[in-house]
Amino acid sequence: MVARDKLNLLKDKFGPAILRADLPADDRLFVYIEPVVVRDVCRYMFGDMDARYIISIGADDRPFSGKFMVAHNFAFDPEKLLVSVLVHVPADNPKLDSISGVVPAANWAEREIRDMVGVEFEGHCYPKRLVLPDGWPDGVHPLRKDFAWNEVPKDFDDEREFKFDEPPAGCTVVPFGPFHPTLDEPAHFRLYVEGEMVRGCEYRGFMVHRGIEKLAESVLTYNDIPMMAERICGICGCVHNVAYAQAVESAAAIKPPPRAEYLRTVMLEIERLHSHLLWVGLACHIVGFDTLFMQSFRIREPIMWIAEKISGNRKTYGLCLIGGVRCDITPEMRTELRAVLDKLEAEWRPVVAAVLKDKNIQKRTRGIGVADKAACKRSGLIGPVARAAGVDIDCRRDHPYAVYDRVRFNVITDDGGDVWSRVVVRAKEVFEAIEIIRQCLDKMEPGPIQLDIKDELPIGRLGLSSVEAPRGESHHFVITGENNRPRRWRVRAPTYQNLQGVPAMIKDQQLADMTISLGSIDPCFSCTDRLETIDLKSGATKVWTQEELLKLVRAKKA
Amino acid sequence: MSVLSKLKETIVCLKAGRVTLPYPAQARPVPERFRGRPIFDAAKCTGCGGCANNCPAREILVFDVCQEVRVLQYLGRRCTYCGRCADVCPEKAVTMSHEFENATNAIGDIQQRIELFMSTCQRCGRCFKEPTTLDQLKMKGYRFDDVAHERWVFRSKAYLESEPVVDDIKIEWD
Ligand code: SF4
Ligand code: SF4
Repeated sequence: MVARDKLNLLKDKFGPAILRADLPADDRLFVYIEPVVVRDVCRYMFGDMDARYIISIGADDRPFSGKFMVAHNFAFDPEKLLVSVLVHVPADNPKLDSISGVVPAANWAEREIRDMVGVEFEGHCYPKRLVLPDGWPDGVHPLRKDFAWNEVPKDFDDEREFKFDEPPAGCTVVPFGPFHPTLDEPAHFRLYVEGEMVRGCEYRGFMVHRGIEKLAESVLTYNDIPMMAERICGICGCVHNVAYAQAVESAAAIKPPPRAEYLRTVMLEIERLHSHLLWVGLACHIVGFDTLFMQSFRIREPIMWIAEKISGNRKTYGLCLIGGVRCDITPEMRTELRAVLDKLEAEWRPVVAAVLKDKNIQKRTRGIGVADKAACKRSGLIGPVARAAGVDIDCRRDHPYAVYDRVRFNVITDDGGDVWSRVVVRAKEVFEAIEIIRQCLDKMEPGPIQLDIKDELPIGRLGLSSVEAPRGESHHFVITGENNRPRRWRVRAPTYQNLQGVPAMIKDQQLADMTISLGSIDPCFSCTDRLETIDLKSGATKVWTQEELLKLVRAKKA
Repeated sequence: MSVLSKLKETIVCLKAGRVTLPYPAQARPVPERFRGRPIFDAAKCTGCGGCANNCPAREILVFDVCQEVRVLQYLGRRCTYCGRCADVCPEKAVTMSHEFENATNAIGDIQQRIELFMSTCQRCGRCFKEPTTLDQLKMKGYRFDDVAHERWVFRSKAYLESEPVVDDIKIEWD
């Protein structure tokens, strides 16, 4: 009983401050503690017990318990245990000690809770607004239950501007994004550059925050959410779809039929194949090696076709409902999938053999964007980034779900911690994914693919689920609720943690290496603060300042 | 030495040959299960509202004009082609077609509106028998979605009211 051992350790240390504990299964532990000890408990777990920080979740629990709730989630990977440390915060004085000092990786999560739920974290190391837009009024928190899903705050202040930090002395500011032809999504890195060297940066993101979590807890129903979850990410949609379904199933103690679990595994690995091939291609594209970019995409295409054949769409599989899946694999599809895998393996082998010896790629990626073991621990880095630094974690093995405990596979690690090692890890993981699918196809027994759910789901239960996405662990947290929908659903995508490691990765590196360090993020030197117009007739130039431009834009809107 | 790996990479490219298709002159046929634009069959639909209740994108509106007439409107705007409407429809009135070239300047090309003649059910007026408890949105009786503004109204009533209720919408229209 690992969960009980860990609980006993905490009880020995903190005694009466541990209010209550739930052990719904041997791989899950929910500990309710007194607010005053939250920092000490987290320090003890993160430091002495060497837990990996996953995420913190805030929830408005006032309609039910009269309090706010904050959960800090940790993982004990070798012991296959997920722990949630829960604190209730009084509604009239929502304040809690920040753990960002002892667990640096909690920096964003706590700021997000402050923005969305309105719990103040005292002693936070960098308490700047994170998620809400600049003009959003203070004291209005969209994830509170008394804030309607379609409400627009009245005193939204269009004029309020974001205050950037002062750059360090001797550094020039070079803006990156938010809009750039090679950026897939808007994100802004304000780089501090000294000569050619990057000395630091300030990050601004969340420009496309869509409020999916709010929709889920106010207008969608349990079985609607998987289709929305899938649209959180354009690459690993199926991961969110499965992770959500599993979180609800774990909360409601539902077990999907075995065939459904096999089908989930197959589709998740199909998704991993397409994602890894896409990423290796894109990484090559960023360093200017477009030949391989094209070949990766060519080799990847049959995977998209077979996914379309099985699920009805090449990317949005619409796979899960609570307690099962929606599409089955027919015997013909099985034969075809095997053929696709054989061809993929035969084609990918020579590519990997060639790339792993390619000096040009190595020159651009070795020693670049380094995140070592300590950085992984500090910032909670996961997935191929961690594995490339020799941190041997993989949720498929450590927190097995679907049928990963019934198939054999290797967890690929490397020790460079740099971009090169990440290429190596992801290129090799392709073969493991192929093997996993083959084993599933062998072992899959005929049977139902959807559990018949007769009763309404229990209310107020907690569920956790970690799914190894191609880029790292996706973690979902669910509190079940009334009206056939969850009370709270929190999604932590792998990039949420990995992005927090970027400032350390790019520090003291050449500006030119920033692109590949950030993966798909490219620099943009010309836009931002001002813009130049030329009158074609007279040739007169006018330089627009930021203030003038803002004025122009606002005048248009009014 | 890097030359060798370059040679290997060249071979990979040469072996591939030509892989592009002459699209749009010639489209790749879509597989059997492909989920394209959903098409509603007015002749089969009984107006139970099950598709509307289970559409994750809230793309299907239901409006009870009077006791006998119910309007079902498919908006075609943010439909994700998930196929849930086709799954839950008890009358098999929704088909996920194989149409995927749906870009249009006139949304009317895609939108569908069904006007149904309803007979009265003794229980709630209108019924959708959920396949499971998870497929229910707790909305029974008469429905008054805002068809003019193409918006859902999260409210249903046990009695038909002459004035449709839209007061729970707090967003102002431009
Ligand atoms: S396909 Fe999905 S999103 Fe589109 S109308 Fe049907 S249920 Fe709604
Ligand atoms: S579920 Fe089918 S029968 Fe019911 S309203 Fe929708 S299309 Fe009509």
